[in-house]
Amino acid sequence: MQLFKTPNIRFLKYKYVALGIAFAIVLAGVLNIAVFKGLKLGVDFGEGTLLRVVFKSPSNEGHIRDLLQTVGLGKSQVQKSGTSGREFQIRAVESVRTKPNDQDQLEAHEALADKIIEALRGDDGAAERARGLIDLNTLDEKSLTALLESSFPGSGPESARAILAQRNKTGIIASFQELSGLKPEVRTYLQDKTYLGGMTVLSRETVGPQVGSDLRRKAVQATIWSLLGMLVYIALRFKLEYGVAAIFTLAQDVLITMSIYSFTNREINLPIIAGILTIVGFSINDTIVIFDRVRENQKLLRGKPLEEVMNVSLNQCLGRTIITSGTVFLTVMALFLFAGDVINDFAFLMLLGTIEGVYSTIYMSCPVVLFWQRWFKPKNAGRR
Amino acid sequence: MKKNLQWKVVLAVAVVAVSIFLAYPFNDAKIKRGLDLKGGIHLVLKVRTDDAINIETDQEIARLEELFKKNSITYAKVTKEGLGRIAVQGALADQEGKTRDLFDEYSRDWDYSFVGDRANLTLKQLAVQALRDQSVVQAKETIDNRINTYGVSEPIIQRQGNDQIVVELPGVDDPDRVKELIKVTAVLEWKMVKAGPAPDEATLLQATNGQVPDDAEVLKGDPKRGQGGFYLVDKVAIVTGKDLRTIRRTTDEWNNPAVAFSLNSDGGARFEQVTGANIGKQIAIILDKKVQSAPVVEARISRAQGGVIQGRFTPEAADDLVTVLKAGALPAGIDYLEERTIGPALGADSIRQGLIAGLVAIVAVMIFMVVFYKLAGFNAVFALILNVVILFGFLAYFKAALTLPGIAGIILSIGMAVDANVLIFERIKEELAVGKGVASAISQGFSRAFSAIFDSNLTTIISAVFLFQFGTGPIRGYAVTLTISLVANLFTAVFISHLLFDLTVKKSAKKLSV
Repeated sequence: MQLFKTPNIRFLKYKYVALGIAFAIVLAGVLNIAVFKGLKLGVDFGEGTLLRVVFKSPSNEGHIRDLLQTVGLGKSQVQKSGTSGREFQIRAVESVRTKPNDQDQLEAHEALADKIIEALRGDDGAAERARGLIDLNTLDEKSLTALLESSFPGSGPESARAILAQRNKTGIIASFQELSGLKPEVRTYLQDKTYLGGMTVLSRETVGPQVGSDLRRKAVQATIWSLLGMLVYIALRFKLEYGVAAIFTLAQDVLITMSIYSFTNREINLPIIAGILTIVGFSINDTIVIFDRVRENQKLLRGKPLEEVMNVSLNQCLGRTIITSGTVFLTVMALFLFAGDVINDFAFLMLLGTIEGVYSTIYMSCPVVLFWQRWFKPKNAGRR
Repeated sequence: MKKNLQWKVVLAVAVVAVSIFLAYPFNDAKIKRGLDLKGGIHLVLKVRTDDAINIETDQEIARLEELFKKNSITYAKVTKEGLGRIAVQGALADQEGKTRDLFDEYSRDWDYSFVGDRANLTLKQLAVQALRDQSVVQAKETIDNRINTYGVSEPIIQRQGNDQIVVELPGVDDPDRVKELIKVTAVLEWKMVKAGPAPDEATLLQATNGQVPDDAEVLKGDPKRGQGGFYLVDKVAIVTGKDLRTIRRTTDEWNNPAVAFSLNSDGGARFEQVTGANIGKQIAIILDKKVQSAPVVEARISRAQGGVIQGRFTPEAADDLVTVLKAGALPAGIDYLEERTIGPALGADSIRQGLIAGLVAIVAVMIFMVVFYKLAGFNAVFALILNVVILFGFLAYFKAALTLPGIAGIILSIGMAVDANVLIFERIKEELAVGKGVASAISQGFSRAFSAIFDSNLTTIISAVFLFQFGTGPIRGYAVTLTISLVANLFTAVFISHLLFDLTVKKSAKKLSV
């Protein structure tokens, strides 16, 4: 099957317009980051506590904020996650540095998290606890096994595992009916000895100030080193200007994705760095494919200006670019639509990134090489 | 079949077979899941290495005092001036030579200088470094022991940087208990009680006119053990955790959980003598400077007898005390810098959703390749499957954990694998379009597309290596999966795919399904 006959689009005719657009986006983004909204740092790079909780019955952000208001934490960020309406992410924002040393600061974050959990739990289960019942939704495996083993010797571990497997499906057991797989006597026993708490904590991440800045520094360091590594390799395999062009391209990729993050108010955390690096990876792949074709065509089309060689190469590779990017775009679309919350942010980033990567190859990589040759090698400008 | 084709087939089959062997059976033990997918606890802690220097300084002071006494050197007092700094004051001037000899012989880790009637000792920089380093190494070992006794499968306990330790405990769902277990210094001491318990310090010190005697110190009771109030106890311990011979959980006479201990002969002798001389008085059992209980000595406790530590223990708390005492004390205090607890439900969700999405995506890509490139598309699909097989084989071999960012790395590599095939097929089409024969179009297509595939994969591998070198946790997981699958990609997309063409397309073929 052929997508189309090799076309003859003069891509680079529009390089100034295209560069202008890219520059405008980057400028707006940088301004937005530096002057206005800033980057929203996730708990990895900022500091503080991120809680993920699940409720037995659906709730909403407003209600949770009201609960937090009662303990003076109304400013915390509350975000619904998942589709069940029962899961929420809460980031305690009262994370201004109040304590002199790291350890105390971390403990202050932890205390805040405890306070949030307490506020969300309210007096749920207080009556049951007063009767000596245990919350089955927060019981750990060892204690549950011990509890069951004491009344059903021999089958304790097995039943405990079955209960936990059920609990781990959603993070919370909403009613004893969900445990229909258990032996009736075990279920009756549990109903007798335990109750089902209204909320469980799915995850709890606290990052102290030192680690936050460590992680920030290391992420930047790792990114810069890996960019330099690419520059050196491309400069060796192609020419210096191609390496430089690749770095410009990647800088644009990183800046534009960061800008989009800043505009859409999404949080930057460690997995997102992996996402940005993935975009950079696709983009560099695209750029090298084009550069490779240019390298080849320079031998075949001797005497032609570089700009024309580039246009020919871009056109020859257009089918491949559309097929590859299209496939990746579809893949990521699947992730965006079907995958859960944790991946959703990443997929969103990738959707934009695949398009941006192609754009940056055509309108950043190629023009930079052109300009370089024009400025630094005026004698054979565009000629080789 | 041509001879070199035979060898290629053998190589391809061998690599794939080894990968399957490494990853089989495809389960949790083989393909490890990272904490973000499996759930568990991730802790970063910092060892207070200053503590080690402090202890060394205190011990040096004690050593000096004993040395001076033994060698009848007169002095006013030995004082601690700071971290690794000691001053000996008073009347040393006329005994300088003798003192120098002592310092040279017994205090080799210390630099000294004499100023008037005073000697200043400073711990050598090299010794300071060694002590700090040692304290981190020891702390790591101690934590290792405690975690092992507690029972966690496949814990990761690693040193990070100068004074940090990373602890990863997959599958553990009781963070508070584990944090406490790691954190307690576990210095256990038995000391005679001079006064107390009293509700506050003023009441406690009434008998001594509000002064703390030189040989005593004030300690608080441990609220967790139901001990309130303040105690005035001897500075010098009768016995310490180092004198323990055995320790185990038991129950006391009211059937409450308690901890039974017995002492070694040296400690047992001291304990026997002190208890014999102090019948009717209280002995405080102190853990990390907090009084656990202060029973009254009712009779002389013989060295074989040992004793029981009581104090409103829960069964878990009693177990944990046994664990930490067995593993030994930490050489220095620790602080937490980062604490993450990921519940198993969160990871389970991510996996289920990620799996569905990933499968949908891969199947979509495969269908597309077959529809678009027909028979050649099957080549690509086959190469893609082998790529994933090899990836999991080597993930298992390197014992690298699969994490969410790692999945991102896999997506990138799958994208690049598809791209490699597209590049080759498009190139073959171009060669066919200019009128080349099938066989030469295939070999030209592969060789022309090779440089682009090689350069782009290698560039990304280079960047991944740097990410691994300089990155942390999740970024490293990303780098590992990416590197493995890109290397696999070069092998499957170029070598195996080419081989498949050679095996399936006849040399004399007039048409190629691409």
